[in-house]
Amino acid sequence: MASKSSLLKVILLGDGGVGKSSLMNRYVTNKFDTHLFHTIGVEFLNKDVEVDGHMVTLQIWDTAGQERFRSLRTPFYRGSDCCLLTFSVDDSQSFLNLGNWRKEFIYYADVKEPETFPFVVLGNKLDVTERQVSTEEAQQWCQENGNYSYYETSAKDATNVASAFEEAVRRVLAMEDRAEHLIPTDTVNLHRKPRSNTTCC
Amino acid sequence: MVRRTMVHVYNSHPFASQQIVPTEQEPGLVCCGGDALFAVSAGGCKIEAYQLREEGCPLICRFATMGAVRSVVHSRVGDYLVTIEEKNQATYLRAYTNWRYQAAEKTRIGVRLLGHFLRSASTLRGDPKEQMEIIEIPLFELPQCMACCPLTGDLLVGCSKNLVLFSLRQQTLSEHLSVLDFERFLILHVPSWTPSQVALCAGYVALQAELEVLVVKLEHLQPNQEPQEGQGHALIPEDMVTLADCQDSEAKAEVGPQDVDDFIMFPRHQEMLGEQAKACGVSVSLEWTGLESETRKDMGVTYVLYRRFAPDFFQGCSVEDTCLHSLQLYPMFTSQQEGGKEEPTEPACVFCFFSLPNIGYMYSLKNAVELISAYQYPEKALQAVLTAHFLHVITKTTLQCFSVRCSAVAARVEDPYIDTTMKACPPYAMEVCALRIQLFIGLKALCQNRNHIVLLTAADVESKEETERPVRRSLEPKDFKTLTGFFQAVGIEPSSNTTLENLLSRSFLSRKASFVKPKEPSEKSHGWNLYVVNTMPTLTLYGEMVEYSKKYALSDPFSLSCVHLLSEAHLLLRASLLDPDLDPTERSLIQQAFRESCAQLGDCFSRLDKRDCHLALPYYKMSGLSVTEVIERNKPATDSALEYGKGFIFFLKHSLYEESMEELSEETADTVLNIFSMAEPAQLPHVVCSPFMQNANPAFALTHLGRLEASSAPSVTLTLTKAALALRIGNMDLYKQQMDRHAEMLQVYGFIEEPKLLLQGRGKDVVPTALAWYLRDTQDGLLVAATVALHENNKVKLDEADLFFQELCKDGREPKGCPQLLVDFWESLLVASSQDTVIQELLFRLTSVYIDRITHQDHLGMKSLKTAEDLINSCSHYGVLYPWLSILTPVQFNITQDHQEDLQKLQSLLCGPTLDVSSILPLLEQLSDADDAGLSVHVLCATKLGHHESSIEQLLDRCPQAIIPFANHELQNDKMPLWWQKLFPELCKRTRAAEGENTVLLSALKETLVVVAMELNPLEFLDLLPDDGTAHFFLPHLLECSQRNLMI
Repeated sequence: MASKSSLLKVILLGDGGVGKSSLMNRYVTNKFDTHLFHTIGVEFLNKDVEVDGHMVTLQIWDTAGQERFRSLRTPFYRGSDCCLLTFSVDDSQSFLNLGNWRKEFIYYADVKEPETFPFVVLGNKLDVTERQVSTEEAQQWCQENGNYSYYETSAKDATNVASAFEEAVRRVLAMEDRAEHLIPTDTVNLHRKPRSNTTCC
Repeated sequence: MVRRTMVHVYNSHPFASQQIVPTEQEPGLVCCGGDALFAVSAGGCKIEAYQLREEGCPLICRFATMGAVRSVVHSRVGDYLVTIEEKNQATYLRAYTNWRYQAAEKTRIGVRLLGHFLRSASTLRGDPKEQMEIIEIPLFELPQCMACCPLTGDLLVGCSKNLVLFSLRQQTLSEHLSVLDFERFLILHVPSWTPSQVALCAGYVALQAELEVLVVKLEHLQPNQEPQEGQGHALIPEDMVTLADCQDSEAKAEVGPQDVDDFIMFPRHQEMLGEQAKACGVSVSLEWTGLESETRKDMGVTYVLYRRFAPDFFQGCSVEDTCLHSLQLYPMFTSQQEGGKEEPTEPACVFCFFSLPNIGYMYSLKNAVELISAYQYPEKALQAVLTAHFLHVITKTTLQCFSVRCSAVAARVEDPYIDTTMKACPPYAMEVCALRIQLFIGLKALCQNRNHIVLLTAADVESKEETERPVRRSLEPKDFKTLTGFFQAVGIEPSSNTTLENLLSRSFLSRKASFVKPKEPSEKSHGWNLYVVNTMPTLTLYGEMVEYSKKYALSDPFSLSCVHLLSEAHLLLRASLLDPDLDPTERSLIQQAFRESCAQLGDCFSRLDKRDCHLALPYYKMSGLSVTEVIERNKPATDSALEYGKGFIFFLKHSLYEESMEELSEETADTVLNIFSMAEPAQLPHVVCSPFMQNANPAFALTHLGRLEASSAPSVTLTLTKAALALRIGNMDLYKQQMDRHAEMLQVYGFIEEPKLLLQGRGKDVVPTALAWYLRDTQDGLLVAATVALHENNKVKLDEADLFFQELCKDGREPKGCPQLLVDFWESLLVASSQDTVIQELLFRLTSVYIDRITHQDHLGMKSLKTAEDLINSCSHYGVLYPWLSILTPVQFNITQDHQEDLQKLQSLLCGPTLDVSSILPLLEQLSDADDAGLSVHVLCATKLGHHESSIEQLLDRCPQAIIPFANHELQNDKMPLWWQKLFPELCKRTRAAEGENTVLLSALKETLVVVAMELNPLEFLDLLPDDGTAHFFLPHLLECSQRNLMI
């Protein structure tokens, strides 16, 4: 195990049905289930990963994309280290909604500097034949909105999934104020308050 | 205020086995509950759950937390964990529910906010999802500490300015799945008071600051106490004022008389119990926030306990070290209660524990608030945990196990017979003791679940450099642990031996060449361990303590340490018996041990001559041993030195006199005679009379009594006892000799002193003794007099006396009804008794007997002890017979002597002042008035009831010769007018009908005229005279009347 480990909270946002849960499942358990239920509320999974020599625990938050679950998911945006904005390349509406998702996230996560916050955009369902959103369109949107990284993924074929998540980690680690997000493993104080080394009575 | 008591230290073995929990990373925090151990590791971001009840404590599951855990608590009810976590400088409160579904680590975890319960979840997903769920609980203030109620699962969170109470909502979706939620229902505002620890149990809320502890109770207040206070605060919400007034009263209390001459604003040492605590200066006000607030409006807070400590109070601890820790509320149920199962009932006891570095306090909060025990630790304690059986305390280097008094308090709540001659239990004020002080290296934290104690040990981190030291490879600590464990298993404590310790640390750390270990002797070996120490099963520890006590007893049979150890062992068993989860087989084994323990305590106290020796009695009773067995246990080792303890004699005496033991064999009975001859010869007559001594050899008993007689003052009881024994062996000369020694009057006193000479109770039966049978035939007067005396001295009840005489007379010499001897008893008792209820009862019974006998006239041959005349002369309830009765029923008037007596007694009772005639009317129905005897009674009753007119008619019809004596006696004062209103017209009518032939009527008429002429004026008299009257008959009376009037 590496000397330091940190817990990074990465949140998946995007319209219902674009494949957020599938991406998470593919990444963490390397499985794909075509008959996955709709996510209700918020769920998360942890995965230990090593990226560029850094050992991190990635806490991936999967959210319910449907509008009616809005109140259930928004309280948990706070404290996120990275946001994965997800759409489906065969669904142009999901692509058009990316801006709304970004706004919702910035508002509820109470992001202090939205310009520098690490977003990563994922275009999922690369495996489908009839695309509605072109790579160029997506890249352009990313370019215009804050120079976000863009990954085209397929949870079904496992294309690019790991790279996308690793990019998220890199993005977070690259933040200048990295130390703030780290919780070192072995300096946890075992006591409620520090004790001086006095002898006992 | 601090009780300085001696602490016994024993070296028993409450700890059975030790296991090492297979954690891979150093745990930061640990907690237990629901048979699981939770270790927070990975920098506070991962929780590992281990199965405590299985060998080797296997991992149940591992799950990630959402932030770095700062503190963690498990709730038994709901099986949830609650954490205070930090992430990116923000603090969160979270509850982890259904965590057992996290067995496969890669399962998704649901997250939601408090109150966002997904009712539609099951319909959306088909089957309910078996999934761990985290509930985020938002708070206005920073959470500092939290606690769960062990009975309801409610959650109490201590924040910087207030306490927030969440009630647990539990909805079962299927057999295996339930959904939890919390409702924020109450905020307790405690301004300027930030708790460092809180506790919650059965409505009790305890909070602890650095040097203060406050316990309050949330409860329904009596509505009638409120209104006066409420009126002055109409503008303030009701729930905000509940205790606002306290501050005023507390201010007054602070400047009480004792504080007049010191104005130093220095916190003083204070203990305030119950109502008193109201004046403590900490105000608590309630704000209801839940949906059901309305129904809780009548709930308020009452102060239960407040303690404050001065910071400089504890020698040996620096001021900054002196702060409280280990606050705990502990509920206990009695065995009749269904403790904490389905519906949490109110526990019988709630205890509060908290601790300073060198002393711990245990209070009982229910009933009376009381300090039960103060624990003096031999060294500075880091943490302590209270259970029903023990108090476990850790210091830097030891795990200490102290005894507790919970079961002694609970036993008294459960059983009101404790502390009587029926049952006993060691007092809860009994000094506590340390059962074991076990060495450990670098103890850091302690928690407990059932019989498992979890210990976290870690080397002291001395410098920053060491802090940065890389985590050791996972193999190393395991080797280290194995070896340390091995040393400890063979009884060597590595920490107690510097060389060993160095060896241990060097052999494993030498591989890291870069690390140089400082050579200071005080330095602990670096490393950490998570141990699970199991406590010894109660029965095993009990057995050990009993063996231990025997060692004390061997060196000194009167050793108090022996009693103390046995008492501790006894309380352990009681604690187990109070455990509602105890398995039935185990329970019956413990009950068996419990009886054995009672017997041993009985043995101990029976040997003692001290003031507690009377405890031998209840303990032996609880042991279920027969008296014979107890006598056997107390037999001195050598016959030469016959010595019995005071406690044993006390036990024996009570058993013999309380009529609750078995009949002793001849051998044992003779032993008992021997024992009393030695120990308390004066008791011998009573001992001999005990029904359980029936088999004792009478000759042997007579010898003992003879010896007593020779050496002591003459005693009537002794003489009577000898007579009874003489009767038993058929020595009538001796009997007569003894019975003639004292007058009957004195003998009565003898019987009062020992009623068993005459009668013995056997459950509900009353058994007359042989002496009683003999007296029935020879001295029935003495027998009756003695029984009356017994009754009047509360030695027998009326019913028992009835049974006694019925038993004595049941040989059938009397045909039926009430035996004469019993009637004699009632008559004698009526003479003697002064209790009104007894008198009324006896009057009714006797009237009934008399009427019965007169009616049936079959009472033959039995002479009563007292004649009617005796009774009239000696007893105020029997009145002098009215003169007219002797005309109606003259003596020896055609009935037998016996019936004459009964009739006279009945008449006399009716003539007396006490008998309420209306109460016996139903009895009269069976008595015919066909003969004069019956007539006399009926007329007497009618007259007593004021029915004079019917009495006059009856007498005129049946016995006119009695009418004038009757009228003279009865028609007086307000009844006087009956002479002319009733008697005179009746007589006129009847005389006329008899055409003047009836001389009896005529003379009665004349007598009446004399009285009437005396009483009326001439005009009235004239009016009265019949129109057809003979002038010469009435004229002289009219003349007399006129003359008398003229004279006036």
